[in-house]
Amino acid sequence: MFEKNKIRTFLSCAALVVLAVAGCSAQVINSAARPISLNATLQEAVTVTLSANAVNFTLTRGSANNPGSTAITATTQWTLRPRIGFVSVYAFFSTSAAALTDGAGNNIPSSAFSISNNGGAFQPLTNTVPFGGANAGLMLSRWLILGFNRTGTHNDVMDFNINLTGSPNLPPGTYTGTLTIQAQAI
Amino acid sequence: MGKHSFLKVVVLGLFIATAVAFSSAQAINSGAQPIALNATLGESLTVNLSAAAVNFTLTAGSAANPGSTTITATTAWVLKPGRTAMTVDAYFASAAAALTDGAGNNIPSSAFFISDNGGASAALVNTVAFGGANAGLRLANVAIGGGNRAGSRTDLMAYNINLTGGTLPNLPAGTYTGTLNIQAQATP
Repeated sequence: MFEKNKIRTFLSCAALVVLAVAGCSAQVINSAARPISLNATLQEAVTVTLSANAVNFTLTRGSANNPGSTAITATTQWTLRPRIGFVSVYAFFSTSAAALTDGAGNNIPSSAFSISNNGGAFQPLTNTVPFGGANAGLMLSRWLILGFNRTGTHNDVMDFNINLTGSPNLPPGTYTGTLTIQAQAI
Repeated sequence: MGKHSFLKVVVLGLFIATAVAFSSAQAINSGAQPIALNATLGESLTVNLSAAAVNFTLTAGSAANPGSTTITATTAWVLKPGRTAMTVDAYFASAAAALTDGAGNNIPSSAFFISDNGGASAALVNTVAFGGANAGLRLANVAIGGGNRAGSRTDLMAYNINLTGGTLPNLPAGTYTGTLNIQAQATP
C-alpha cells in the first residue's frame, strides 16, 4: 500500500514536469516578411466644363450692342504634380477672319466678338493664344500654381457681345460659328 | 572636401535641378469645349410717310381736284441674298369705292390719280401685290442685287381726283372719305 502511494506521487510529479516543459515550448513562430510593392499614380489633369454650349444673338444692323442670349460659366478643375507654374483658360476661334459666317462669304470676324469675363470689360478675341487661329483668341484668366493649390477649381462667367459697327453692310441672314474654351497648365 | 569639389557638387546639383524642372514643364491641356454660336441678322423693309392725310376740295364734274399736299414715301430696306426685286405700291381696298360718303355714293379708284416723283398722273386701276383687284398703282419696282441689298428710295406723290368719268359728274355733294395705303414688298 505504501509503495502504491509512492508510485502515484511519482507519476503526478512526472505529469507536472511534462506540462511545464510543454508550456515552455509554445512560443510564437513567425515566417519571414514578404513585401508587396504598391505603386499608385494620380495622373495630372486639367478639365473644363461648360454650363451651356450654345448662345444665340439677335443682331441689329450696324449696332455695337448685340448681346448673347445667355452667359456661360466655364469651370476649370486641375490636379497637378508639385511644380511652380500657371493654369490659363483661353477662348478662341479657329480663324480670326470668320468667327461666324453665313456660309455665303459673309463673315463676322473674331475682332467683332467680345467676351466680358467675370463682370470685367468686354474684350474682343484678337490675340494669338496657344489654341486656335492667329489673332483669334482671348486669355480669360491665369493663376499661379504653388504648393497650396495644386488641386483646385476656378470659374469664368462669360458674357458675349457682337459689335457690328465695323460691318455695317452685313447682309441679313443666319451666322453660325463655334467658340472654343480650353485650359492649359504649364 | 575642397572648395573646388564643393563647387563641382553645386554645379552638378543645379544641372540636375534644371533638368528636372524642364522635364516637368510639359504643358497639360484640357479638352476643348465648344460653344455653338448662332446669330441672326433679320431683314427689314419699312415705309415712312411725310404726312398721313390729304384733303381735296372737289368741284363737280372737274378733272382737276388736286390734293392739299404732296406726301413723300420713304422706303428703306435691308434684304438677304436671294431677293431680286422690291416694289412699292399704292392701293385701295376696293376699286369701286376708293372714297365714299357712306350713303352709297362712291368715288372709284379709277378716278384717283397719283403723280409719282413728277411723272405723269396715273389712275389706280391695276391689280398689285396688295389691296383690291384693279385698285392699285405700282409706284416703284427696284431690282435688287449684291450692290443694293440695303438701300432706300423716296416717292414724292401728288394726288388728284378726276370727276369727269361715268356718273361722277352727278356725284352728290357731301364728304367723301377713304384710305389710300402705301406698302412695299421684297421678292421672292
